[in-house]
Parts: sequence; C-alpha cells; structure tokens
Amino acid sequence: MPEWGEDLRSRLAQLRLSPAREAEIIEELSQHLDQRYDELREGGASDTEARRLAIEELLEPGALAYFMRSLRQANVPTPVAVGAPRRFPVFDLWQDLRYAVRTLRKQPSFTAAAVLTLALGIGVNSAIFGLVDTILLRPLPLPDPDRLVMVWERTSTSLRGIVSPRNLIEWNRRNRTFEMIAGFRPNVGAMVMGNSDGTAENVPRQWVTAGIFDTLGVRAIAGRTFLPSDDADRANVVVLSEGFWRARFNADPKVIGRNVRLDGEQWTVVGVVPNEALLLGQTSIWALMPIQGGRGSLVLTIGRLKPGVTIEAANADMAAVAQGLAREFPNTNAGRGVTIAPLRDVAIGSDLRQTSMLFLGVVGFVLLICCANVANLLLARATVRKRELAIRSALGADRRRVIRQLLTESLVLAVIGGALGLALGAGILHIAPSVIPQGLLPTGLALTFDAQVIAFCAVTALLVGLLFGLIPAWQATQFSSADVIAPGSRTVTGRGGRIRYVLVAGQVATAVVLLFGAGLLLRTLLAIESVDRGYRAESALTMIVDPGAGHPNEAALRQFYEAAAQEIMALPGVRGVAWATTLPLGRSYQGSSFFEIVGDPPLAESQRPAADYQIVSPAYFTAVDLPIVTGRGFDEHDVAGKVQVCMVNEAFVRRYLQGRSPIGVKVAIRRTPSAQSPSVVREIVGVARQVKGRPNEAEDLIQIYVPLAQDTPGDIFMIVRPASGRAEALAPAVRAAMARVDKQQLVSVRDPMTLDDVVWAATARHRFRAVLVMAFAGLALLLAMVGLFGVLTYSVQQRVRDFGVRRALGATAGDVLWLVARSATGVMAAGTVLGLALAAVLGRLLATMLFGVQPSDPATFAFVAVVLALTVAVSTIGPAWRATRIDPAVTLRQE
Amino acid sequence: MAVTYMDMPAIDTRMLDRELKKGSAELIILSIIEPGARHGYEISKLIETRSAGQLKFHVASLYPLLYRLEERGWLQGKWVEKAGQRRRRFYSLTATGRRVLARQRDTWKSFVNAMDLITGVDHA
Repeated sequence: MPEWGEDLRSRLAQLRLSPAREAEIIEELSQHLDQRYDELREGGASDTEARRLAIEELLEPGALAYFMRSLRQANVPTPVAVGAPRRFPVFDLWQDLRYAVRTLRKQPSFTAAAVLTLALGIGVNSAIFGLVDTILLRPLPLPDPDRLVMVWERTSTSLRGIVSPRNLIEWNRRNRTFEMIAGFRPNVGAMVMGNSDGTAENVPRQWVTAGIFDTLGVRAIAGRTFLPSDDADRANVVVLSEGFWRARFNADPKVIGRNVRLDGEQWTVVGVVPNEALLLGQTSIWALMPIQGGRGSLVLTIGRLKPGVTIEAANADMAAVAQGLAREFPNTNAGRGVTIAPLRDVAIGSDLRQTSMLFLGVVGFVLLICCANVANLLLARATVRKRELAIRSALGADRRRVIRQLLTESLVLAVIGGALGLALGAGILHIAPSVIPQGLLPTGLALTFDAQVIAFCAVTALLVGLLFGLIPAWQATQFSSADVIAPGSRTVTGRGGRIRYVLVAGQVATAVVLLFGAGLLLRTLLAIESVDRGYRAESALTMIVDPGAGHPNEAALRQFYEAAAQEIMALPGVRGVAWATTLPLGRSYQGSSFFEIVGDPPLAESQRPAADYQIVSPAYFTAVDLPIVTGRGFDEHDVAGKVQVCMVNEAFVRRYLQGRSPIGVKVAIRRTPSAQSPSVVREIVGVARQVKGRPNEAEDLIQIYVPLAQDTPGDIFMIVRPASGRAEALAPAVRAAMARVDKQQLVSVRDPMTLDDVVWAATARHRFRAVLVMAFAGLALLLAMVGLFGVLTYSVQQRVRDFGVRRALGATAGDVLWLVARSATGVMAAGTVLGLALAAVLGRLLATMLFGVQPSDPATFAFVAVVLALTVAVSTIGPAWRATRIDPAVTLRQE
Repeated sequence: MAVTYMDMPAIDTRMLDRELKKGSAELIILSIIEPGARHGYEISKLIETRSAGQLKFHVASLYPLLYRLEERGWLQGKWVEKAGQRRRRFYSLTATGRRVLARQRDTWKSFVNAMDLITGVDHA
C-alpha cells in the first residue's frame, strides 16, 4: 500500500494545525486514499496508475489548504512550549523578552545588584567617554576647524615666540596660503568698569586685532565684530562675550552702541560673540588693539588657511615670507622664521590627552570588573536554575534556544543597567565642570551629553550584555537534563565553580592594576605637596593689582604702590605688604629674560640663558619669609638713578657662577636674546633661597630679582602677610584700603588668593588625577571584594554536606576554616601575581605623569599587596565563619 | 484558485459555482448521512452512486466541507474502532444538523418547484 502521509503533511503544513489534529486528518485522508487505490487496483489499474489517480483526488498541491484555510482548527497559535524552537524568531524574541522580564522581576535583589553594578560601570564609562569625546574626538566648535592654525615667530632660542604687530601686518600682506592671520593677547588682566552707582568692577579682557573673530569664523550674535575701519580709526571699541552679556546686561540688545567706562575711558560696545570665542582664553570682553602703523604690543597669532592648503604648504609659504622680511628688515627680522601648528593640538595639550586616555583606561577596567561581577552572579544563579533549564531541555528546547533565553536575560539586565548608567553619566557630566580643575579643559569647550555619548552607552550596554552573559549561558547548558532532574540529585560546583574563581581572580588582577596606578599617582601627589617651596610664610594674602591707565609712567606707578602699601600696612592685623611679579608656584607676569655674565666669553644668541625675571619690592623677602643666603636684600637706596642692582637665587649661582662669589658680579639682562634688544647691566647684591616655579619641575628654576623702584611694571601681585590668623580674612579690609587710595576708580584689584590657594591650584591637576584614579581603584577593589565574598559564600553553601561529613569524621573548625581560606588565598595569590605583572608593564605608561616616584616603585607594590591581603581577609571572614558553624549532626540528618 | 468542489460531467461548471453558493453541497452531505453515521469514503461513494455518476466529490473538497460542518455543529465526527480493523472516523448528524437539513430541504424543494414552474420543464 502506498504511503500518503508525507504528501498529505506537506499539503497541510501551511495551515498551522495542532500536531494532534494534523495527525488525525492525515490518518483519515490516508484511509480514503487507500480505499480508492484498492478500488482502482481491483478495477484493473496498474500500481502506478492507481497511485496517480488516487493522488488526483487531492487536486493541485495547494487545494487542500485552500479549502481548509478558513476553518477554526487551522491557524492555531503554537502553544508556549517552554524553550521549544519555533519557526518565527520574532515571536521567540518577544517570548524570551517577556520571560526574561518576568524572571528578573521575581528576583528583585539579584536584579537590583546586577543592574546597579552595570549602571555604575556603564555610567562612569559614559561620563569619561563624554570627556574623551570632547577632547580627542570632536573637532573644535568653530567653522572648518581643520583650517585653523597657530602661527608663531621662530627664533634661535624659541620655537614658539610671540609676534610683533609689524610682522603680523607684513604676514597678512605677503602670504598666499592664509585667508587671514589675526592676533590676541591672553591673560592681560582686567579692565575696570565704572558703574553708574559709583562702584568699580573688574572685567577680564583680552586685547585682540580687528580680524580675530573673522579668522576664527565666529559671528556676532548681536551687533557686529571688529571691522578694519575700527583699526584704521583707532576706535575704542569692545565686543562682549555671550556669558558676560547675559549675566551683566541681561542679554539686553540695546547695549550695542552704548558707551561703557573702562579704565577711565569711554569704550563703545559694538557686538556680542558666542562662547566658542572663549577658545582664546577665559574673558568677558575683547578690546580692539589697533595695530596699523605697527603700533600695539606683541601678540599670539591664529591663522585661517585657504581651503585645501596643507600645513606643509603654509610652512613653505611663510618661510619664504620670513626670508623676505629678514632681507628687507635685517635689524628686526634677521634669523627669524615661522612655526605653524594646528589650533586643536595647541588648545588641547598633551597633558590633557594623556589624562583623558588614563581615565578611559581606568574606567574600562572598572567596567570589566563590573562585567565579571555580574557574570558571577549569573553563574551562581544559573546553577540554582539548573533544574528549570533541564526541564526546558527535556520539553524540547535545544541548547541554542536555552543559551538565547539566558542571553536575552543578560541583555535585559544590560539595557536597564545601560539606561541607568546613561542617567548616571549625564549626572556626572553635569557636575564635572565644577569638579575639574580650572584650566584643565580649554575654555570654550563644553562637556556635553550628546548623541555620541548616548550611542557609546548603547553600544557598551549591548557588548557588556553579551560579554557577561555568554559564559554563564554557555556554562548553564553543560549538563545532562536527566542527571539534574533525577530526584535527590545534588548540585555540585564543578566547572561553573572554576569559572567563577577564574573570574574573581581576573577581578583581583584588575583591581591590583588600578590600585597600583592609584598608588603611583598618590605618591606623586604626596611628593608634589611635600616639595620644599622655598619660602616659609605659613599664610599670606595675594591679589592681582592693575593700576590701569591712571598711572601713565613709572614714577606715578611707584607712587601708587607706595601709597597703597602704606594704607594697607596701617590696617590692624597686617604684618607686612610686598609687591612681586611672580608668585612661588604661581603665575609670572614678566616671564623670562635673557642674561649674560659681564666679563664671561660672549655667547651666541641661541646660547644665551634665560631666567625668570621677577620684580619685587624690598619687603617681599620678609613678607613671604624667603631667607637671603648671601649678601643683602633690596632696600630704600635701590632706586631709579642709582646703581642698577639685582638678586639671584641659589640655582643661578650653582649653574652660572661655578664657585665664584656672586656678590658684585655684573649681569647684562635683556628681554629677548637678540643682540639688538637693549640690555640693562645689574650688579648682584644678594642671593635668595631657591623657590619652586612649578611643583614638579625637573630642573631648579633660575631666577633674577629686580627691585620695584628700578623697574616698575603695570600688573603686579600684592602680598599681604597677616600678624596672625587667617590671611583671607584681611581681603575686605585690603580692598577698602585700596579703594581709598584709588579715588578715580581706575585700579583693578582681583583674584584674592592665599599662598596656600596658589599651591593648591598648582597641584590641582595632580590631585584631580590621583583622586579620580583612587576613587575608581577603590570602587574596583570593592567590586572585587563583593565578587570574592559572593563566590566564597556560594561555595560554602554548596559544600555544606562536604564540610558536615568532614566534621563528623573528626575535622576541627580550624581545618574547615583553612579549607575556605585556602581557596580564597589561592584566588587572591593568582590574581595578585597576574595583576602585579600587568601593573609592572602598564606602570611605564604612567611615567610622564609621575614625580618623585619610579613606575616600578617597590613601596607601591608592597602597599598594593597589603591592601589586597586585608581585602581578602575581610571577604573571607563571613563565609569561613559560616563554614565552621556547620553542625555535622544536622547536615547528615538532612541526607 | 481554480478548484472545484465537485466534478459534474453533465452540468455546466458556471452553474456549479452558483449551486455551491446556495449551499447545495452542504445539503447533499447532510442528506447522505441522515439515515446513519458514515465515514468519508462511504459518503463520497454514495454521492457518486446516488447521482448516477453525475456528481463526484474529491478528497480535497469533501473533507474540508465535512470539517466545516462539524465546526458549525451540524454533524459530529467520531472515531470508531472495530475488532481486527483500523479505526475510522464516522460522521453523523447532530440535532442542529437535523434541523438545518429539514429547513434546507424545504427551501430546496420550494426552489426546485419554482424553477419548474418558471422554466416549464415538465410541460415541455
């Protein structure tokens, strides 16, 4: 008899009948066809013919399905066979998702632990990615930022020198590769804005040339930017920054065209520019510096290349321009070239790049630890769920299907963790600007939480979901259903246990790497903070004083400084008042000067040494308690018109006088190394103790001190030493005293800081780096601890019977304790060895950020080992104690 | 899909369509099993013999129709096992099926009478 079943089954396939109903129909129709076949055979038909004619009863292949498609028994939804493979993946996915959410909801503490761990890992990664995105990935927020370059004057002693207005004009006139080159002077202090109510206010400003905003591609959001005609007219015009305009003028558009009183003169506000312009430096106003006819002071210059011009082409073009200028103006331009570098590279220094890469690496490690922890949680849970999974397998779910279900659960965890992480990342980025030390991020660059960060977060969450989900899912399906379902079957730690130990060892290794890095940075911070600053004053108040336009010459300035010092000295609680152009570990207003020892063989221009040129009042040395080691300090006789004198520091004597007595040695000092630059010959009258210029300087700073009365500058630091108590408490009284001296409201007094604040600011980067890495390392350690604790607790739980039997056979509590401690110690030892080996390699990458400590510092290695041992001890106590409390009688009775 | 419920060698196929719409196939089935339960093959054979070979139901159309009538509750299928034989599924009329049959039969008769009167076949 022919077999009809297969043919019938294929004809019914698309109807989605229930398997039982399908079998019934096949049976019934087969009987019909059998009978028809018999009948045909009896009628004399051959086997083939009878078969053919019987099959014809079914008409064409789709007919049966066509007539049955509207029946209720067709299109039966497939029953939810737990874990069975299905023909429609989308339904499967939906089913997996619902099942995953249901399962996770049933175990809120597990879910919360996993989600929070992931949120933490993904959150800190998103935030740091936001930083890296801003610094390393995103272009500067200006039009065609790739065409913006910094242009410097190159001399034999300086690769990156500032540019004279005359040369700037010539560069613009002669070059063929730039659309425009413009100049600016950052950090030039503030202007004093006189208010209608008679009070004065300091407003940070920058001097810029007329083309600066056009070069940057910044358009005014109100009014206009500077025009060439402003330069030609030498107009007193200013442009406001958006932030200042909003804060100070409530974004009033009517401010355009209005006159404001700055430094006692009337200036016209011509426009407002958006915050992107702050890439030039933090400021509130930009004042036009006319340069026509070569007026104005030296500037930094930014150029915008013509479209398609490379930096090499611009370099060649500008080299030709510089050569032409050197030929025509040998007095000022001989030996001068040009250096060009992308603005982006200059705005974002290598320190910042390294720091952000360091953070990215660190949070990457934290994320790995988070993944390992969640994988551990899932592994433990998978062991507990073995029975459930085995039942699904027995019901027909294949291994792939079970893995997919478990992976779906991991992904659901990752997605929820990712969403929370996103919120955490956004929160961190929101508060980051107030935590990041000033000056670390270039001004004008804002940390933003944008689509890129969200995309990063989403991708991370998915990858993480796969990463921590795959091993547990794979491991969970490594068993025979029959063994697991069998009554009395016992769960054993087995391979899952080993994987968990490997994961914990990995966590420990990662934590060791992070701890080691944090240790090195912490030692660097300690070294920097405990560095000998040179001065001994415990407390002193400093302020920047800019006497402004009301003091047109040095005599007037000197008079003002004297009057102010007298007024402040008269205040109660003031022990000393001094003036200086450089603060120890702080900023220097005068920068470097070049010098030659008179009488020594003459040096080539490029060989002339430089020293920090520091102008101080005679009281400076007592005000900051800086000892004079040889000779004398300045006194009231060191004034203009008398013998020009100077003091030097210890490093100067060591390096340049080599054993000679410094007193009476004459030094020729010039502002530039060029022989054309006028020099002043000064006689050394004393040697001051070494003072630090930067907290982590590799070489001692060379300093020359010059008396205020012989070279009186316009911008200067005032230092007020209190008789006792806190220096900052003097600030209001000092300001009031200054206002009494400054009757015309022309003097700018700003940035009150104590010397401690200056030190704090100087070490802020190092502190920020160390604290952040330490926080992450602490987090990593905590997570590793939780991981170890979890694994030990679980293993003790699994081995209750084992421990019970051992106790019954005579093992002491100490023996059981040792059993638990041994596994913990093994994990810790493996993780620590691996971690230290990795740390030894990775430590070298930190070398440029370290000070006073070697990348392979043994003390740090020891510190990490001790911390790890303590951590392991803490994590082991609980589980080990529990193991010793197992009562053999109770355990064996339960068997 | 160009398939037919019945082969009717002597009858115009277009007419068949209309007949089907009127439910004549249902009437045929219900009438065949009215006297007693029958299995599918029997039903198809009876239709063929009683119509003197004029009507023939294919497997592909007969069984879907049986299942539809069963779903409507007009007939009931039941597996019956007899000693030494394979079990077979027998269809019998339900009470509802009986009522439907009576009504359809009346309707059909009225229809045929009306057709006779109009077309005057008997008086030809």
